[in-house]
Amino acid sequence: MFYAAFDLPSSPASAGISWPDVALSFFAIVLEGAPFLLLGAIISGLVDVFLPAGVIKDWLPRSKTQGIFAAIGAGLIFPLCECGAMPIVQRLIRKGVPPAVATIYMLSAPGLNPLAMFSTYLAFRNQDPWLMVALRFSFSFLVLVFLGFWLARLRPEHMLRAETVMGSARTKPEMSPNPGLVLTPRPGHSLGGLQQFTGAVIRDFTGVLLFLVIGAAAAALFSTGFDRNLLAPVGQNLILGPLAGILLAQLLCLCSTTDAFIIAAFAPFSIPAKIAFLVAGPLIDLKLYWLYRSAFQPRFVHALWLRALAATFVLVLLYSMKP
Amino acid sequence: MIDRIARQISFFAPAAVMSAWATVMLHTIATGHINRLLSPLFRNYVLTAAILLLVLSALYVLLYQPESETAPALAPTGRLRQLGRWLVLLVPLVAASILSPSALSSTTLTNRSSTAGVTPMPSWNAVSQEKAKEVLDADPNQPVPVEVTELITLSQNPAQLKAFEGRKVRTVGLFHTEPEHVPKLIRWIMWCCAADAVPASVELGGDTSGDWKESQWLEVIGTAQFPSTLGHVMPRIDVESIKPTQEPDEPFLSP
Repeated sequence: MFYAAFDLPSSPASAGISWPDVALSFFAIVLEGAPFLLLGAIISGLVDVFLPAGVIKDWLPRSKTQGIFAAIGAGLIFPLCECGAMPIVQRLIRKGVPPAVATIYMLSAPGLNPLAMFSTYLAFRNQDPWLMVALRFSFSFLVLVFLGFWLARLRPEHMLRAETVMGSARTKPEMSPNPGLVLTPRPGHSLGGLQQFTGAVIRDFTGVLLFLVIGAAAAALFSTGFDRNLLAPVGQNLILGPLAGILLAQLLCLCSTTDAFIIAAFAPFSIPAKIAFLVAGPLIDLKLYWLYRSAFQPRFVHALWLRALAATFVLVLLYSMKP
Repeated sequence: MIDRIARQISFFAPAAVMSAWATVMLHTIATGHINRLLSPLFRNYVLTAAILLLVLSALYVLLYQPESETAPALAPTGRLRQLGRWLVLLVPLVAASILSPSALSSTTLTNRSSTAGVTPMPSWNAVSQEKAKEVLDADPNQPVPVEVTELITLSQNPAQLKAFEGRKVRTVGLFHTEPEHVPKLIRWIMWCCAADAVPASVELGGDTSGDWKESQWLEVIGTAQFPSTLGHVMPRIDVESIKPTQEPDEPFLSP
């Protein structure tokens, strides 16, 4: 067991914000996220070139309910970080995967994957690890099922940005590697697979990178400038504790394989507050909000945010109130 | 003429932005600044991404060219908006690479530390225990080089704590002091990147006098003590000598 001691600040009030530290955190987040985003864009490009839409449709279950559970199952089996998932999900939607199914995969992959569960076990080795793993898994699963049934009732045009629903037509500007221009092959170069692949990768990478930059800026600001001890006094409260856990997850924007280590060390929080943090964070936070905006309409992202957090809060509250 | 120039700028923008990202990544690796940003696990990914971005930039320029006329219907977002988009991708990254400091400040330390004192933070269990064993087996007549985190690991095991108490140690860390508090030696622990780093510390007892600045790297030689207050063991080094030192190759400790 590894333990760490933490400093005892002299004042419970916020120490303020160090802007150079915000720059350092921002730089760290984008450098960490960009390679995974590029990996996601490359996989997306490969899907675009090599995977016919018909094949994907043949793989998918016919019923929406089965599709939702298949997506949750895929999230369980294929670990994928939030940054890498975005280009792939957008490509899958363009290839004909129902948006509800692709969205549920996007939401479930970070939170339910085995790496997140293993890190939760390690982080809580000294604090009833199996309970924490079981609660994190089951609550995440229930929230995803709830969101899945809601998503299944939505029409794609109410969820997706216009360019995400374009289909696979490559003549449209939204599919160009440079959406501001009409591009043609250079003389002597035909529109072969390499060109199609390059165009798809660049378009997906730069398209989502814009939102990663904005999200990373928000995440760096709050993870650096927000004094997490401000939430400590309410961490044990039946109602305010889970809300504080959810709020902290929204502000810190941690990866799902890291979050358990940070929150396990946060003694002022009760178990329900920690579970709320672990369930809500991988579903949506300030950074993910902007990443989701790269594919989805703002109104839909707001509705998703509200429902995901409300469902997490209700589940954790019910758990807290158990006799 | 202006249209042509604007079209050329717009055409090269994706390649320029991707090349700039690759250059910043490679520069960060070459200067060692990446050690202050990412845990070792992620550093090779950045190198790979930088190379791939350069390849993609070259492919883009080689494979594509702008059409002589930009059809308005196919350029719906407008030139200024497009330019703004590329600038958002470029300016914050370059600014952050220039402005990011070599260490997190005491302001962030206060924001990211816990008021709860000693808090369990399970981590690289086998490795940390192995290191603790190495420390215990070291020559007792020489100062044992230990990390702040190893002292904390030892402090949580009563048997190891008892065996190690009073041993002479040599530790490197960042100096941190607050009014009416004992000075401390800090190391930041990073899981993935500097944005998730949290501070770990040991107290410094005895004579710590000197013109030490906040967050200055110091090497401390002294005796390891593990005083307990209300069941909370806070490792302390009773200082015998203290001097400025270079920043270690790995300023952050990673699992």
